[in-house]
Amino acid sequence: MAKKSWMYAQLEAVQYEMRRDKSMVWLFELTAPAASFPDLPVINLEKEFGRTRVCNTGIDEMWYAAAALGSGLVGVRAVAYIPYQGNTMVFELIQEHVGKLHYMTGGAATMPIVLILEESGQRPGYAGQHSDYEIDSYYMHVPGVKTVIPSTPSDAKGLLVAAMHDPDPVMYINPAGLRPLVEDVPDEQFEVPIGKAAIRTTGKDITIVGSGASMPEVLAAAERLQKDGVSVEAIDLRSLKPMDVETLANSVQKTRRLLTVDQTYYTLCPGAEVIASVAAEVSPAKFKRIAFPDAPPPASPEMFNWMRPNDTRVYEAAKKLLAA
Amino acid sequence: MAGAATAVTFLSTAARRARADGDIGYTAKDLSDQQLLQMYTTMVRIRWHERMMVDKMLTVQGYRGYNHFYAGQEAVAVGVMSTLNNTGRPDELDYVLSTHRATGHALAKGMDMKKMAAEIDMRATGVNLGYAGSMHLSDPSIGFIGADGIVGPGGAVGAGAAFGIRAKGTRQVVVAFGGDGHFATPHFHSALNNAALLKLPFIYVIENNLYHQYAHYSYSTPMKDIAAAAATYRIPGVMVDGQDVLAVFNVAKVAVERARAGEGPTLIEAKTYRYYGHSGPAGAKPGQLGAFGYDPLAITSFRPEREVKNWMARDPIDIFRRTLVNWAVLDEAKAAEIETKAKQEVVEAFQFADASPVCEPQEGLKHVFLKGQVPARQLA
Repeated sequence: MAKKSWMYAQLEAVQYEMRRDKSMVWLFELTAPAASFPDLPVINLEKEFGRTRVCNTGIDEMWYAAAALGSGLVGVRAVAYIPYQGNTMVFELIQEHVGKLHYMTGGAATMPIVLILEESGQRPGYAGQHSDYEIDSYYMHVPGVKTVIPSTPSDAKGLLVAAMHDPDPVMYINPAGLRPLVEDVPDEQFEVPIGKAAIRTTGKDITIVGSGASMPEVLAAAERLQKDGVSVEAIDLRSLKPMDVETLANSVQKTRRLLTVDQTYYTLCPGAEVIASVAAEVSPAKFKRIAFPDAPPPASPEMFNWMRPNDTRVYEAAKKLLAA
Repeated sequence: MAGAATAVTFLSTAARRARADGDIGYTAKDLSDQQLLQMYTTMVRIRWHERMMVDKMLTVQGYRGYNHFYAGQEAVAVGVMSTLNNTGRPDELDYVLSTHRATGHALAKGMDMKKMAAEIDMRATGVNLGYAGSMHLSDPSIGFIGADGIVGPGGAVGAGAAFGIRAKGTRQVVVAFGGDGHFATPHFHSALNNAALLKLPFIYVIENNLYHQYAHYSYSTPMKDIAAAAATYRIPGVMVDGQDVLAVFNVAKVAVERARAGEGPTLIEAKTYRYYGHSGPAGAKPGQLGAFGYDPLAITSFRPEREVKNWMARDPIDIFRRTLVNWAVLDEAKAAEIETKAKQEVVEAFQFADASPVCEPQEGLKHVFLKGQVPARQLA
């Protein structure tokens, strides 16, 4: 156990797998396959494993996903890191191949691959394209792919290990805005099971559910609410599909109030699936969801920051739901 | 003939000889003094906009603008844009698609510097009302379809615009700019393949500044000259010294005339260089042109200082100024006056932006569609 950055925790997991599996490949475009952290050995996958296995070429996200998919089809485990500026480029492959090939071939084709799909972190000021790509629910909608999204460095490692070990293709959403986070992360290889949500605070008055970049906002709001005497159960989804409906339903069975928080667009955000799934299991209960409006992110920080479902919005929404 | 004397030139032997004899032998020689001075002035305006914005980013706390700086590449934007119709009715204007490195293209196409500066600072008075920032600058009234933060699509969309123009039956043309990074994208092939198949009025200008983001183009391109790709599509592929505005003008002029005459697309590769890093002012010092040293963002390649200095020694503005002085179109006093005026214009543009109101937060719900606004879903 040692303090590690998000990226360090991830690359440590990849390094371990690549040392054990001599043909496993890592594809990257802009994000160097290297990480350092005080008092820890520098990780540089490109130097350690060479460019036959760790490779970048042009600004061509389609290639990185295709190379991972093709590798998987010939029995080579592959991870591709797709940067946020281009991850919709790979959507055709996810929709028509990665998600369907195993099924369409009657189980003949297998793809032990991971596509790490970076989210921008919605930095204000970078406008429509570079503040965007909080598009988690696009992937969870596709049959045949599992979709996970960590919100802590420890989960970033554990979910990546689980994704790399999974014989099915996993879409691993990487909220780049959380990369500055540092925490204690186990040195050994460990799995955070895919399909299991994490209860971050236990409570009985209201359930607040988020994932990825929403979680810091949810936890900050939960802290404010606890100070007001509200008992909050904050749940981090971690896995969008399969979704841990059991944990969610058990929580709402107790609190009877469910608020979902998403940084992505409102329509068909993961929270919509959460509410629909829980509503089928628990009655009576009250529901609310907040998310980014159905508008592209504007450049102006005044507009953008107002549109974000930040901790104050979460706090206000929870208060409204509690009063309802 | 400063440009020709030092240039690695890609002109025909005849053109090269003609130029060495003091008669450049092709269309740029027919430009009026006024046109030549306007081209020079535009290059100087772009240069000082970039330099002063770098300085502002380095020195003014709280300044919100950022940019992918175009300094060093001015001859390409100005050489190409000087062959286009940049004013007029919507059925006369020629159209340009730019990249994330858009400010040089925007100014050369005729964008108002004040409104551009306000947009880059994300003000309500910006040319795109504060929605765009530097990466999505757009002004249809001058035929500037606009910037794009995504590498590749501009080429294919540009060919699409040319397809639309062919359907309209006008004599307009479309220019799409791209960096050397475009070659590796699937859109590059789609753009040239379809433009060639359909003989579209399309010119694809690849500004090869050697680096796509932080990697040398040898990482993404198997050949030295991207223009060579044109042969695959059976269209002209022309290489040009991107530091020589008249050379750029000449090849662009030929391409534009071909396109207007219905003879189809051209691929132009301008060999050029950017004086700053991929994005922002890292490595630059206030008052000093260019960025040097280790760029913390450079993951695959970082630019040797010798390389930066070598390219800066062939500065496009110096090259053009020496030519114009030789031609007695310009003298050093007049050149200094142009420079002073350009700096003053930039000062005033930044002042306009600084004094402009910021956006109203609720405006963010508008302009999703032509009419109405979307609900504020961040609020319960």
